[in-house]
Amino acid sequence: MIFADIKNITAPADAVEINKNELALRLKTDRDFDVTLLDKCRREFDKTVTYKCAYIRTAVDTPHEGICDFGFMSVPSRDLYKNLRGCKEAFVLAVTTGIAVDRMLARLNIVSQAEHFMADALSSAAVESFCDYACDIMTRDVSCVPRYSPGYGDLSISFQKPLLARLNACETLGITLNSAYLMTPVKSITAIMGIKTPEDKK
Amino acid sequence: MKRITELIKEKRVYFDGGTGTVLQTMGLPAGRSPELWNLEHPEEIISLHNAYFDAGCNIVKTNTFGVNRCKFDNYRELIRAGIDCAKKAAMGRDEAYVAFDMGPTGRLLEPLGDLPFEEAVSVFADNVRVAAEAGADLVLIETMNDSYETKAAVLAVKENCDLPVFVTNVYDATGKLMTGADPLSMIAMLEGLGVDAVGMNCSLGPDKMLGIIEQFQKYSSVPVIVNPNAGLPEVRDGRTVYNIDADEFSDYMVSLAKGGASILGGCCGTTPEFIAKTRAKTEKLPYAYPEEKDYTVVSSYTHGVLIGGDPVLIGERINPTGKSKLKAALRSGDLNYILNEAIRQSESGAHVLDVNVGLPEIDETEMMKRCVSSIQGVTDLPLQIDSTKPDTLAAAMRMYNGKPFVNSVNGTQESMNAVLPIVQKYGGVLIALTIDESGIPDNAADRVSIARKIIDRAAEYGIKKKDIVVDPLALTISSNPESAVTTLEAVSMLKKLGVHTSLGISNISFGLPRRELITATFYANALQCGLDCAIMNPFSEVMMNTYYTFRALNCYDKGCADYIRYASAEGNGTIDSKPQPVSEGSLRSSVVKGLKDQAVSFAKDLLNNTPPLDVINLHIVPALNEIGEAFEKKKAYLPQLLMSAEAASAAFEEVKKRIPSDKTDTSKAVVLATVKGDIHDIGKNIVKVLMESYGFTVFDLGRDVPPERVLSCAVENNCKLVGLSALMTTTVPAMAETIELLKKSDPEIRTMVGGAVLNQEYADMIGADFYGADAMDTVRYAQSYYGTGSE
Repeated sequence: MIFADIKNITAPADAVEINKNELALRLKTDRDFDVTLLDKCRREFDKTVTYKCAYIRTAVDTPHEGICDFGFMSVPSRDLYKNLRGCKEAFVLAVTTGIAVDRMLARLNIVSQAEHFMADALSSAAVESFCDYACDIMTRDVSCVPRYSPGYGDLSISFQKPLLARLNACETLGITLNSAYLMTPVKSITAIMGIKTPEDKK
Repeated sequence: MKRITELIKEKRVYFDGGTGTVLQTMGLPAGRSPELWNLEHPEEIISLHNAYFDAGCNIVKTNTFGVNRCKFDNYRELIRAGIDCAKKAAMGRDEAYVAFDMGPTGRLLEPLGDLPFEEAVSVFADNVRVAAEAGADLVLIETMNDSYETKAAVLAVKENCDLPVFVTNVYDATGKLMTGADPLSMIAMLEGLGVDAVGMNCSLGPDKMLGIIEQFQKYSSVPVIVNPNAGLPEVRDGRTVYNIDADEFSDYMVSLAKGGASILGGCCGTTPEFIAKTRAKTEKLPYAYPEEKDYTVVSSYTHGVLIGGDPVLIGERINPTGKSKLKAALRSGDLNYILNEAIRQSESGAHVLDVNVGLPEIDETEMMKRCVSSIQGVTDLPLQIDSTKPDTLAAAMRMYNGKPFVNSVNGTQESMNAVLPIVQKYGGVLIALTIDESGIPDNAADRVSIARKIIDRAAEYGIKKKDIVVDPLALTISSNPESAVTTLEAVSMLKKLGVHTSLGISNISFGLPRRELITATFYANALQCGLDCAIMNPFSEVMMNTYYTFRALNCYDKGCADYIRYASAEGNGTIDSKPQPVSEGSLRSSVVKGLKDQAVSFAKDLLNNTPPLDVINLHIVPALNEIGEAFEKKKAYLPQLLMSAEAASAAFEEVKKRIPSDKTDTSKAVVLATVKGDIHDIGKNIVKVLMESYGFTVFDLGRDVPPERVLSCAVENNCKLVGLSALMTTTVPAMAETIELLKKSDPEIRTMVGGAVLNQEYADMIGADFYGADAMDTVRYAQSYYGTGSE
């Protein structure tokens, strides 16, 4: 069963430009680092990835300081509260690179740690880049505060659960949680992104 | 009232449409679980079911999609109430059935997720027992996007009630499930498990399902269910609506009915109007129950392999007979070696992998289960489960994700009595060996007789002839010169009878020099006689030559495309490629640059005139130190360090081949694990590869490892150095717990910790002996612990 207000964004591998800074950060190299093996990993990743995003636009209520209520979940978090200050609406989103990337990484983990490390870094940078890509699309007509994810600051990672349930992410994106609230596919992101009200824009 | 499985033999049957989306229009708030209304608003649920029955459906789905013990403590109550609502609506109606609706658990099964297969079976089983007792007429397993979870649910139904079971999966626009399965693989697995109807629901509208129905019609021998969405949701005038209306929907359903769907209904966005219009337009269309299809298929969680026609290669490398390295790996539980063999065979062009782990000194069933699960984690090839022990076959078939090849049954009463019921229960394509109580007949006709006996006996268990592949046994010509001729004759005779065949090809040359020459020619002869499958070595160049040339010569290779790719060695040729020519450089420079193949070539050359230990001490270790120091001085990056470590390890392997095994130094050992609850193991793996390249023996326990397992590994191997990693703040307590257990049990154990969330202060707080800021740091500590250090 899917909720009708959930929207989806997908993209072919070549539409998402992997952010070089994100990649360098994860490879622990400088921005221009390049080896043949990295190209090989990139080709394999591109063949494997299925970018998917699901999101809703929802009202945000802040009944008390440090509480953000999204209708489907009420979240006690001072950090998120600060992040969403002045926002009356927010996007709630989840993105993933798909389960085939997990399988690719599991295989490379056996075959070559060097390849595994590089492919893992690429996949992490790619999911961040795709998240940016999806956010650009959903914020075409609005401006937003920086996105905020469960597990950061005092926003408990346990809020992954209601967030993913609301997005029907198990069925539409194939994202599931383990007992420690970590996501599979591993290269997935959940986030809340406050929409600035017109007054804030000014 | 007749069972639904009888009704469907006579006519087209109709499911209801959407539940949750209709309940939302009746006031169910977004985000609120629809199932709660079974108790809170039963009258609304009954009226919904009534509306669907009135619209002409035969089967309503109970409002229990998301109910299970993982999500609702009162799942029993919700299921009983849901079934009660549906039964009230069905009461007094003709041909009105209640399908207990069971959706996914919301968790991913192992090995990629953390839900053990048997736990998933148990979750579904709890549901099924309640539903059967409450009076459901059938079970519908729906909206499943993972083949493995689907299998768990089907087993739960089969083992806990005798109700008919229907299954619909969620296919995307590419015609695959979220976890990769195509319709052929799902049909193969589900029919093997004895499901009564298969199909698709949700995600797509009927227009998109038209692109997939063809495959169902082609391969399914059981009725096909089609329950599409009303297209895609979109916003019109500020309201969210689905983009296909009832008229358009029902027009598509006509095409789907003509395309082979026997059971029609709807999913999200569809309403009673959609069902009424669908029934009105389709009930007069000619109807025929699906014909029995004659495809022999083994499958994995992504695809099926068809047997009969294009020859099938079954990789033989995971079988300990005559393979000392594999034996050692099985004894030590080193799955990495086995997984590498699996991946290499897959890359070499095998279509199926044989898995035999039979060694007298190990628990074969447990090892088989571990191997099947782990191999399925790294390759998507279907597996052939190979054991002489029925218990091992049963355990592995149960947890196998797909429809396996099963090796084997033979013509003895004992074997047939033991193996056939297992295949009846779990489904599989069974290899039948032509041997019985009298031994192996010395002539082809008698071997064929045994094959017939097995096929007839299997039929008594409902196992179809198409699911038996006969192995008329290749015996070495070194002891019986007529052996090959007899076997080939049997292959030809079986072919004429329409029976598929397989041979363990390599046996033919046992005891002879340059075995491959005999084996490859025999393989060519067997293919010419109609052999369908060969259990063979995909690393053998001559065997692969035979395979590709036979296909090119016999119209299996359009435009010789595969042959050309193979012959020009650009594609999936054998991976035993010749060493690359070494022109410049040295072992040391190859290791420093991370050039693995070159490092191996240089090591081989050097070993011709240099003592093995000198190759290590004068070439490999200095190279590692050079790159290690460059890394520490930030003149080299981590990926380069890893590439060098791998090149060093590969060279090291060459050296080890020249050192007698009793001289190998195993005194420097370390246990490594990512702690319980944490699935991030990349940091741990980096430490592992680096430590191995420095000659440490590493006992790698993987990720999500309970404290007790770390301790038992340290104790069993008398290893006093343990490295633990954690990435998440939530899993650091598990690290503390592990350290506490280790220290309590053996105060001599030294613990090294690392991971993104750790620092020196944190490490001190949880009682670790050493905090490694990076992998080199950890290697240096381990060296100092063992008093070795860099030269």
